[in-house]
Amino acid sequence: MKVTFKIWRQEGPKDKGAIRDYEVDGLTEEMSFLEALDHLNELLVLKDEKVIAFEYDCREGICGQCGVFINGRAHGPHDNITTCQLHMRSFNDGDTIVVEPWRAASFPVIKDLVVDRSSLDRIIEQGAFISAKTGTAPEANAIPIPKEISGRAMDAAACIGCGACVATCKNSSAALFTSAKINHLNTLPQGKAEEHKRVAEMTFQMEIEGFGSCTFTGACEVECPEGISIINIAEMNARVTKSRIFG
Amino acid sequence: MNPLFFRKTIIAATGLFLCVFLIVHLSANCILLLPEDIARDLYNSYSTTLRESPLIKIIAYVLYVSIILHAFYALLITLRNRKAKPQKYVVNHSNENSTWTSQNMGLIGTLILLFIIVHLANFWARIKLGMGEDVRLDHMGNKDVYEVTYSLFQNIYFVIFYTLISIPLALHLHHGLKSAFKTLGFYHKKGLKILAKISLIYAIIMGVGFGIIPFIVYFK
Repeated sequence: MKVTFKIWRQEGPKDKGAIRDYEVDGLTEEMSFLEALDHLNELLVLKDEKVIAFEYDCREGICGQCGVFINGRAHGPHDNITTCQLHMRSFNDGDTIVVEPWRAASFPVIKDLVVDRSSLDRIIEQGAFISAKTGTAPEANAIPIPKEISGRAMDAAACIGCGACVATCKNSSAALFTSAKINHLNTLPQGKAEEHKRVAEMTFQMEIEGFGSCTFTGACEVECPEGISIINIAEMNARVTKSRIFG
Repeated sequence: MNPLFFRKTIIAATGLFLCVFLIVHLSANCILLLPEDIARDLYNSYSTTLRESPLIKIIAYVLYVSIILHAFYALLITLRNRKAKPQKYVVNHSNENSTWTSQNMGLIGTLILLFIIVHLANFWARIKLGMGEDVRLDHMGNKDVYEVTYSLFQNIYFVIFYTLISIPLALHLHHGLKSAFKTLGFYHKKGLKILAKISLIYAIIMGVGFGIIPFIVYFK
């Protein structure tokens, strides 16, 4: 299988960057997209050229590191997957594949396809945790939680922080990410003690990091590898109002 | 309050008010479709009532403020959101994950705002501010707004303009109505599904209603 990659190359944060073309032969349909990039990098090493920087870790769809924009979609042409779950069989022989880094003011490019997503970490630092004394794990059934509640919390907790929601959103809004983190904890009894403070501080951090506001295009929930529903954002909006009144 | 939420809340709240206003507006427009002898008196006395009722005067000011706030905060949000995405993608297939309307509410809204300015110049400026040609009185002593409407829609260009603008209006209302509820924090899953359907029906009624009446008036 032979494809033409058009890949964003950028030396560093200050470099202007540009798309460069690479014709790659010898790919197979079974290869994951990241393996295809590995293959290309090996060819570049043999030619004594600089390899393409891209992020990855687990390569099994759970770590959220491998976010890149492929042919006009976050994580490639399919809905609700990560880049490592994308395989070359999703492309045809002779295709041109455009690969770009996440674009957002809050995600500055570090090098090539690698962006700095620490703005999401700083939102987490503002309250996506519970203040509890650590020690031995408490008895699992000490706090009874109905299945429906724990299920809803788990659905939100599934967020792996890959940043696809921000990348695909025309406003670079981090609303899906932040709402998932807020709803995960605020749904559970353990998170109730700090619920209003959490909402106020995490959304405030989202504002100062320079993310845009949500206009409900719905693109985020289509690209989210965990299929986190946009209804989480509506729930966060309700929580913001509630935290203003009761917080 | 956090500007990301405050601005959206204002847009949603004013938007919902404007949605209610449009229902009243379209209902009143339907009077124009009645036979002329009934329609003229009814329409003129209705518009006199609107102009003179103190309650409606208050609502009229709420309406002006709503339109201005809706547009002003939408502008602020658009500027901020553009700043949040300074570099666009070389290739972006946003149509595969979202509707064109939801991606272009600002553009569609600007068209509607331009229409509102023309529309106010056509009616509001003439009838309420007394600018341009004098409005005659009908036999009951009411300003003959019916005549103003019918004479405007003898001009085919205005008919086409009013009809064409109903398309972006319907698109704007379809996305705006269902999103307003989410912005205001309505997060009931089934309720949102029902609201999405209501928004579609509402948008179709408003689009077809406002779009077709100028045509009917033209050919009547």
